[in-house]
Amino acid sequence: MGYIELEVLDDQPKRVVIGIDLGTTNSLPAIWKEGRPEVLEVEGEPALIPSVVHVSDDGTAVVGRTARARSMDDPAHTVHSIKRFMGRSLEELDEAVLQRLPYQVTQTERGLVQVEVAGKSFTPQEISALILREVAAQAGVAMGGAEVLSAVITVPAYFDDAQRQATRDAARLAGLEVLRIINEPTAASLAYGLDQKGEGTVAVYDLGGGTFDVSLLSIEDGVFQVLSTNGDTSLGGDDLDAALVDLLRGELEGSVERSVFEEPAFRQAARLAAEKAKIALSKDPAADLAISLPELGLNARRTVTREEFEALAAPLVERSLHCCARALKDADLSAADVDEVVLVGGSTRVPLVRAEVERFFGRPPHTGLDPDQVVALGAAAQAEVLMGGSRDILLMDVTPLSLGLETMGGAAEKLIQRNSRIPCSVKEGFTTYADNQSAIDFHVLQGERELAADCRSLGRFKLTGIPPMPAGLPRVGVKFHLDADGILTVSAKEESTGASASIEVKPSHGLTEEEVEAMLEASLENAKRDFEERRRVDLIAEIGIMLRHAKANLGVAEERLDRESMEDLREAIAAAEEAQSSLELELVQIARDTLDRATMPLATVLMDSVVKEAVSGKKLGDV
Amino acid sequence: MSTACPSCGAGLETPLACGACGVLMLQEDAVCPFEVFGLKEAFHLDTGDLRARLRRFTRLVHPDFFALEGEEAIARAERNNALLNEAYGLLSDEARRADRLVSSLGGPTEKDLGSMPQAFLMEVMEWNETLEEAPPGSDAMLQLERELNEHRDQISEQIGAALTPLPQPGDESLAAIRQGLNARRYVDRALARISASSAPS
Repeated sequence: MGYIELEVLDDQPKRVVIGIDLGTTNSLPAIWKEGRPEVLEVEGEPALIPSVVHVSDDGTAVVGRTARARSMDDPAHTVHSIKRFMGRSLEELDEAVLQRLPYQVTQTERGLVQVEVAGKSFTPQEISALILREVAAQAGVAMGGAEVLSAVITVPAYFDDAQRQATRDAARLAGLEVLRIINEPTAASLAYGLDQKGEGTVAVYDLGGGTFDVSLLSIEDGVFQVLSTNGDTSLGGDDLDAALVDLLRGELEGSVERSVFEEPAFRQAARLAAEKAKIALSKDPAADLAISLPELGLNARRTVTREEFEALAAPLVERSLHCCARALKDADLSAADVDEVVLVGGSTRVPLVRAEVERFFGRPPHTGLDPDQVVALGAAAQAEVLMGGSRDILLMDVTPLSLGLETMGGAAEKLIQRNSRIPCSVKEGFTTYADNQSAIDFHVLQGERELAADCRSLGRFKLTGIPPMPAGLPRVGVKFHLDADGILTVSAKEESTGASASIEVKPSHGLTEEEVEAMLEASLENAKRDFEERRRVDLIAEIGIMLRHAKANLGVAEERLDRESMEDLREAIAAAEEAQSSLELELVQIARDTLDRATMPLATVLMDSVVKEAVSGKKLGDV
Repeated sequence: MSTACPSCGAGLETPLACGACGVLMLQEDAVCPFEVFGLKEAFHLDTGDLRARLRRFTRLVHPDFFALEGEEAIARAERNNALLNEAYGLLSDEARRADRLVSSLGGPTEKDLGSMPQAFLMEVMEWNETLEEAPPGSDAMLQLERELNEHRDQISEQIGAALTPLPQPGDESLAAIRQGLNARRYVDRALARISASSAPS
């Protein structure tokens, strides 16, 4: 029935859905336009937003280029690569990564990771939300002021449930509706239009800033299927930079105090120097690796040859190829079975990477599109599908990791096997162990290991409201549903009585529904505060102009105004001057309004004299 | 099995959705996998045709195509696509397909049958000995892998023959098929151990 109505709705303007590559290093929006995906541009440049957030001591956050620019002079307030932390716990984070950070990373008593910046704590979801908000704002500007409310967001194929959920929560905090979370390799293949090529097997090699992923996809009749994925969540261009930073440290060793290496300013400057050298080495046989920090008594310059760099990079590339080999094995394929190779991520510009990937797969990779843009372009293509533009593209995904529950003995029982097609649902029956037991605890796990302790804990939930019955009698049906985005939802019902049991899920690494709500509320309050602050500043500026004007004409006022008006004016000026340093919006507003009223008689007098002057100098006919 | 779309009256290939008007049908959890794919219950099936149907039907039920049609439509699409994927997982796996047929014909379940014959269990113990003692990639291990694969093919062939044409519901032959399926589990488990031991870490 509803379908007839939908046709009527077709006349309404289509909702704008953009594709967003929410990257570790950079984020980028793209949109479908005139039959193809296009990266959104602001002032003729791709709206590439560095995934960097700077937070000042007063709590003001800036995102993107401005934030990245602050990383030199204010590293301790500048958050980079937050994507590495999405949906993870502190103990899961790479020690070496944490060590390189110029700010503290802590966790809440519930194990939620937080970065400590400017005396405040931010969850990765909140930092990502700031980035997404900026991406959406820039996209809006690029589209001539359209409001962006819906998006397709990409994530690494290896992201588990908690990480996908964290991404979804970040978007929600940013005021964006996520219509679909798609895997980055799938997006990259879409960007190259590989779905139009009939059938074949595609390997997507994605060496980004922070993560490495390899995915094998089969494409048949426009249908994408992820055959296998593998990767290393702590291998990327950042590691190439880190290798160069180590080189730089080696150069300085002995000539400076070791403690200098721990200085935030050194860390950031060294990182930027390394990045610069790395980029130069992609086209030149040698590059300068230079650092100059006079305030730390540091000045070093060294030439790095490509050969030297490649020797440093080789073990990292080798690690990536091991992942490729594992992905092939999982998909039961050999390198020769791969028909197309797609490169994603800025680090794939490194000639050694290209050469090694070509050698491994025995065929030259696709390099036609900018490796920094392919993922966003693919997300835009998928956004077009969601807007109802096309059913030509169909993404059929599998879940990369098994999902299960902890059993009594501490083993992991898998309910959904890895590489199962999604969406999928599995139902399991449970019962009670004790008479009149009214609740059952469950521990949801993700991973391939046999013991619950070795799997990743996704969350715990408690099923309550089971009617009193002898042990073993209640039949509780628990349903796992893994949706098209790879996000798990759990529901349950007591079936023998039909009593609906209620579920309370406590995510191990993510935000609870209440936390998301609280953050949303806080961000609304912040938005209100921001608005009020802006209003106060505007009013004070206005008061300044009014005061200048009134004081300049104080002579005229004394000459022409009655005593009462003059008194009012002096009082209002005094109050306004005081209000100029006030932090109370209301007070500032009252002072401004009083001054406005008190200057009214003066304005009238002034206007009169202006008119008189004008008229007196002219003939009647000119008036 | 309903064969006409309640919404537009067109013929239905799958009970999940109408290929003509796109309407999503509400289905029970326990819908028969063969029915989902518009196929008659049978052991042998054309895997190419099965994949083609999966693609065709996924285009009808995938949540992506209902993204802007509201929560209810998306939820129904999620559910129907999950049913489709579940049915595909079952039909595309020979052992699960046979298991389903034995169950739906009223044959014994895995547990009904009790333990395997003594001779078979002796054989399993021999495999386990090799699995524990022979190093991965050794001749003995490769020999065992070959034997197990042959064994599995043999069981499959027997099961396929016994299920074609389908026996009558409750037929005595179902017990033998179940026993074959149980034996296959032992073989599959042993093969999984071999591939786990030779996997690169």
